[in-house]
Order: sequence, then C-alpha cells, then structure tokens
Amino acid sequence: MKNSNPLSPHIQIYNWHISSLVSISHRITGIINIFGITFVCFWVVYLLSGASSYEAINIFFNSFFGKFIILGLTWSFSFQMLSEIRHLLMDYGYGFDLKVANITGSIVILGSIALTCLIYIFGRSLI
Amino acid sequence: MVQINLPQNSKVQKGKYYKDKTGSKSLRKVNIYRWDPSTGENPRIDTYEVDMDNCPSKVLDLLNKIKNEIDPSLAYRRSCSHGVCGSCAMNMDGKNGLACTKPHDEIKGDINIYPLPHLKVLKDLIGDLSTLYKQYESIEPWLKNTSNKNEKENLQTKEDRSKLDGLYECIMCACCSTSCPSYWWNGEKYLGPAVLLQAYRWIIDSRDEDREDRLKKVADELKLYRCHTIMNCTNACPKGLNPAKAIAELKKMLVTR
Repeated sequence: MKNSNPLSPHIQIYNWHISSLVSISHRITGIINIFGITFVCFWVVYLLSGASSYEAINIFFNSFFGKFIILGLTWSFSFQMLSEIRHLLMDYGYGFDLKVANITGSIVILGSIALTCLIYIFGRSLI
Repeated sequence: MVQINLPQNSKVQKGKYYKDKTGSKSLRKVNIYRWDPSTGENPRIDTYEVDMDNCPSKVLDLLNKIKNEIDPSLAYRRSCSHGVCGSCAMNMDGKNGLACTKPHDEIKGDINIYPLPHLKVLKDLIGDLSTLYKQYESIEPWLKNTSNKNEKENLQTKEDRSKLDGLYECIMCACCSTSCPSYWWNGEKYLGPAVLLQAYRWIIDSRDEDREDRLKKVADELKLYRCHTIMNCTNACPKGLNPAKAIAELKKMLVTR
C-alpha cells in the first residue's frame, strides 16, 4: 500500500543555482576529461608514426569540428582545474558561506571561459 | 541510483481550475500539487485564482485562504506559523522553505507549490519523512555522559558553548535533506544534511563523551561521503544554517583527529 504512493517531483522542479551548476559541471567535465586525456595520448602516439599521419591530424584539427573539439577540451580542462581548486579550499573548510560560494562559483564559470580564450590565443601565437 | 524521470504512477497531470468568484482585480494564479490516496489516480496540479487584496503576506496565509475559502480538501502540515516548528516545509517556486516565513511577493509570476522533493506523498503537500526520522534516531541524538555524576548542571565554557551556535537552531524541517540530489538518489543509505548536521552537533559538544564512537559510526562511504558540496542544503535552509559546512567539518575531523 505504502509503496504505491507517488514520488514527489524532484529534479524536474528544483531551481538551479551557481553552486549546484558548478558541482554538476565538475562531474561532467571530469568524465569528458578522461576521454580527453585518452584522446591526447592517441594523438601523441600517432605523431610518432611519421609526417603523413601528422598531416592527417593537422587537417582534422584545422577543420571546424576539430577546432570545436580542441576548444571544448580546453574549456573542460580549465573548468575542472579551477573547480578543483574551489573544492580543495572547501575540503579545508573555507568558502561555505553562501555568498562566498556563489562568488567562487562565478569565478570558476567565468574564469574557465577566460582561461580557454587565453590558452587559445597563446597557442595560436605559437604557430 | 540516479533516476531523472518520475515513476509512471507519479507523473503529474493537469488538474482542476478554480476561477475567482470574488471579482477582485488583483488576482494571482497558484498552482498546487494534489494527490488523493483514495482515488488511485495520478497526482495533478490544481490551479487557483486567489484574491490578493485580502491575503496576508506569507505563502502559508495563501494556503490557509485557499483551504478556508476555495477548496477545503487541500491537505498540508502546519502548526506554529512562526518558523519554529518546521511543519510547513514545502517546495515553493522551485526552492524548499517554510511556507510560514516565505513572503509570496518574493515569487514572480505564478506561484508553484509542491511537496518536499523525492518523498513518498501521503496526501497533497504532505510527504512521508519516516526514513529521515529513522536515520535521525540512528545517530542517537542525545547527550551521552556517564562520568559526570553531579546533581548540578553540566557546565560548559562560553567558548565550547559557542561551537553549538549555528547547529542547535536546527528545527529538523527537512528542507535541506530533501533539496539534496545526493539524498534523492541515495536516500536510504546517505544520511543527508539534516541528520549529519545533528550528528556534528553532538560530536562537537564538549559535554559528550562518545565522540570517537560517533565519528566512527558516521565515517562511511555512503553515510557521509555522498556529500559532493552541491550546497543545495545551505541554499534551502530557512533558518540560515549551514549543513554543508557542518559536513565539511565532520570530514575534516575524520582526517585530522
């Protein structure tokens, strides 16, 4: 009888705020990064096998899709890094005040975008 | 397990529409989650048009007005109406809180009222909190002190007493626990912010002599470490307490003791 009672709505109705957004993104970017690192490893191995395979990668990375993947991974790494620093501070017991948590959360979101742009511009200037 | 969708019997349907009969000019639409255990139907959202000219300021006043003047079948818990008892905890405008302390003019647009999230609904806005109470019992929320045989008060320094500030104020309304996604997916095993805050309250009490045992009991992959500092709990607490910080302190105590 009791178990047939309905379950009240949860994630469907609950409001998002900065802390919860950063937390879920931290987990998602974490999973993406696992694939990202594997991808980079394959890339490095591929480079070893000579000029022709380097050319193939070069063409791929200069395509729109390739650029999207590179920028996406850069953002995902930037986000994970900044968010990890935030979590590290929290593990020390700092930053639990609601206002502070919202500020550090905003810094992570905006900072990850800024960092992505910086890395992209810096990387471009190297080529 | 993470389950995003509601089970089939919990899918919410469109309900009745109660049109205003007072002819008032300042109307607001209030959408309320309804479920009647006697019908066997799915839950529904009923919409009420409420005359705001003659309605006091809080969401609970709004619910009382609906129950008294429009639809007496509406069920919800309430008692003190001063933010002390924690009975009227519910989800208003996508956030948990106490209906008696939440002003309805803080809500923009239609007012959406749901029971506390991810609970078995008993009726309308009343959720079943028995799991949470069992978990609360499991942390043995009472003072354990066998060495003090004094007939007098068990004294505490001002400093030790101040460690309980921000913890003793908790009224166990369950706003925090039911706002926590970790508690939604692992509610059977993870203790949740409310109970962990209480656990910390007894662990940090200088008069309690069971600290080691209490810490040992709570130090569990599922009981404690399902907290991922999402901070929905602190965001929801109607008393302005910080369960997320209490949990972090617990984790810190476990590695530094």
